[in-house]
Amino acid sequence: MARVRQVSEHGAEGGVERVYHELRRTMRVTGVDVSLRTWAAYPRFFVAMWEALGPNVETRAFEESALGLWQEVLDSTVQWEALGAWGTTRLGPSQRFHARGALELFETMQPRVMLMVSAVRMALEGQPVGQQGALGTSERLERGVPSRMAAMDWVAEKPGDAVLRTLFADIVKTVGPPGVPGEYRALGCWPSYLETAWRRLKPRMKDEDFQRASERLLESARRRARALPYPVALSRERVSALGENAEAVLKVTQALERRSPALLLNLSRLVQDVPDMLRQPMPGASRLVPDWVAAEELR
Amino acid sequence: MNWREWQGRQEVMELGSRFVSYVDWGSGPPVVLLHGIPNWSYLWSGIAPGLAESYRVLAPDLLGYGFSDRRDRFDRSISRQAEALEAWMDRLGVVDATVVGHDVGGGVAQQLAVRFPQRVGRLCLMDSVCYDAWPKGLMAQLGTPAMARRLTPERLTRFLTQALKRKGFATPQTAEMLEGLLAPYATEVGMVSLSRDAVALNTNQTLELASKLGHLAVPVLVLWGEKDGILPAKYGERLAWDIPGARWMKVPNAGHFVMWDAPHAVAMELFRFLEGAAPVSHSTTRSVAEELWGSEAPVPA
Repeated sequence: MARVRQVSEHGAEGGVERVYHELRRTMRVTGVDVSLRTWAAYPRFFVAMWEALGPNVETRAFEESALGLWQEVLDSTVQWEALGAWGTTRLGPSQRFHARGALELFETMQPRVMLMVSAVRMALEGQPVGQQGALGTSERLERGVPSRMAAMDWVAEKPGDAVLRTLFADIVKTVGPPGVPGEYRALGCWPSYLETAWRRLKPRMKDEDFQRASERLLESARRRARALPYPVALSRERVSALGENAEAVLKVTQALERRSPALLLNLSRLVQDVPDMLRQPMPGASRLVPDWVAAEELR
Repeated sequence: MNWREWQGRQEVMELGSRFVSYVDWGSGPPVVLLHGIPNWSYLWSGIAPGLAESYRVLAPDLLGYGFSDRRDRFDRSISRQAEALEAWMDRLGVVDATVVGHDVGGGVAQQLAVRFPQRVGRLCLMDSVCYDAWPKGLMAQLGTPAMARRLTPERLTRFLTQALKRKGFATPQTAEMLEGLLAPYATEVGMVSLSRDAVALNTNQTLELASKLGHLAVPVLVLWGEKDGILPAKYGERLAWDIPGARWMKVPNAGHFVMWDAPHAVAMELFRFLEGAAPVSHSTTRSVAEELWGSEAPVPA
C-alpha cells in the first residue's frame, strides 16, 4: 500500500482543522489519533466522513457501544499471562505518571476509533450502517476533554533514535500499515518501556487464541456499527463525486480496520499490566443543553 | 547525566487539575532551582548532584515546561508560576528555601520573593529576566500562533539548537547536552506548549516588581555570565544596585547559560552564598528586629 502522509493537528487547515477541533471535543480526547490523521490525507472525504458519522459519535449509544467493545477486549485478555513490562522497566515516578496517562488516553480513544473505522469501512463497501433514527432523537453526551486526561504527546513517526526507529519498523511490519499506531508512538517517549513491552507483546500475536479474539472483536465492532442510532450516509460514489480517490480511501480504511483488533488486544494487555489502572477511566456525562440549542447544532 | 537519567529522577505532584514534575534530591536546607525558557530542570543537572551532597535540591519544571503539565488550560505567566510554586512548596512542607532562578525562572523567583516573602530565605538571580530586558526577539516571535503554526518539532529543535549555540554559551557544549535541554520540546505537544510559554512572557510582570525589589529583606546574590549575549550583564548590575546588600558576581568567560559554561565557578559561588551565614528566614529577621526595636519592629515587606 502506498504511503499515506498523515495530517498533523498543528499543520491542519480549512475543513480538516475544523473537523479536528470537533473530533477532539466530541470524542472528548486531547488529540487526534493516527487513523484519523491518515484519513485526513483525503480532506474532502474526511469532512464528508465527519458529517456522516459525527451525529452518531456524540451519542450515548456510540459511547456505550465503544465501552462495550473495550470491555470485550479486556475480557479477552484478562486470563492471559501478565505482560510484566510495567514492573520490570526502570521508570521514575514522573515517567510512570506520564506513561499511565498515555495509556488512559488511548484506552479511552481507541475503541471509539475502531468503531468509527468499522462503520466507515462498511459504508464504503456499500453495507448499511446505523439505524434509521431521526437526527436528534438519541441522547447526546457532553462535549469537551476531561480535566485529567493527558496531553497526546508522542515521538515522531521517524524518530532520531535508531533503536526506536528499528522498533517502529518492526511494529508496523507486524501489525500492518499505514504507519506507526498512536499508542506506540506515545509509549516511544519511554523507549526502554516500549522495547520491553513490544518484546513481550509480539510473540503472543501469532497464537491461535489471539487470532480468534481478533476475529471476534472485528465482528463485534461491525455489529455495533450496524446498530448505531443514525444512518451513515457515505459511499464510494459520494467520495468519488467529491473528487477523492475512493479506492485509495477504501484500501486505507480496510488496512486500519484489519489491524484494529490486534492493537486493542495489545493495548488491553498494556493496561492490565499497570496496577490499579481504571478500566473505563473517563466515561462521558449527559449533555445538558436546551433543546433549541441542540436543534440549531443539528441543523 | 543524560536527560533521560534526569527525567528518571523526577517526582510528580498534582496541584488541582495541573501537575508539576520535579527533582527532589539530597537532604538539608532546601534549595529551589528554577529554569528558564526554552529549558527545563535538566538545566541544573550539572551542579545539582554536588549541591545535593549538602542540601535538599528541589528543581521543578515550571508549569507548561519540561515534563510538567503542558496542556492548553492555564496561564504560564511568571506571576501564575510563582503562585503554583508557592503551593508546591507548601505541599512539600518547605517553609522557606534558598531560591535560585535563571532566565524566566529568575522572574518567577522575583515574583515569589516579593509576593510570598515568607517562602524565600535567600535569593539568587542568575542571568535573570528583569525590568524590560525581555522577552527577546526569538521567544517573542515564537509566541505568536501564526509563527508557531509554520514550525514543525524538527524545525523548531534545529532552530533553537542553532540559536542556543550562537547566543547561549561562551564555551562549546556537547550535542548531547543541547539535545537534553530541548528534549521536551521535540514533540508536537512540546512545541505547542513552548509557544504558549513564549506568549506568556510579559515585561510588565517584572516592571511591576522594580519598585519593590528595594524592600527585599533577604540575602541576595546576582550572578551573571560576563558574556551573556541574551540578557546583557548591565541588567544584572542594575538589579544588584536596586536590591540593598545584594552581592554582584560577574562570571568570566561565561554566557547566558552560566552554569554550563562555568559550572565550577557557579557551584563555588553558590556554596559560598549558601554557607555565608546562617539561613535568614523572615521569622529570624523578625526576631532579630524585635530584639533591636521591641514589638514595634517593622515587618519585612
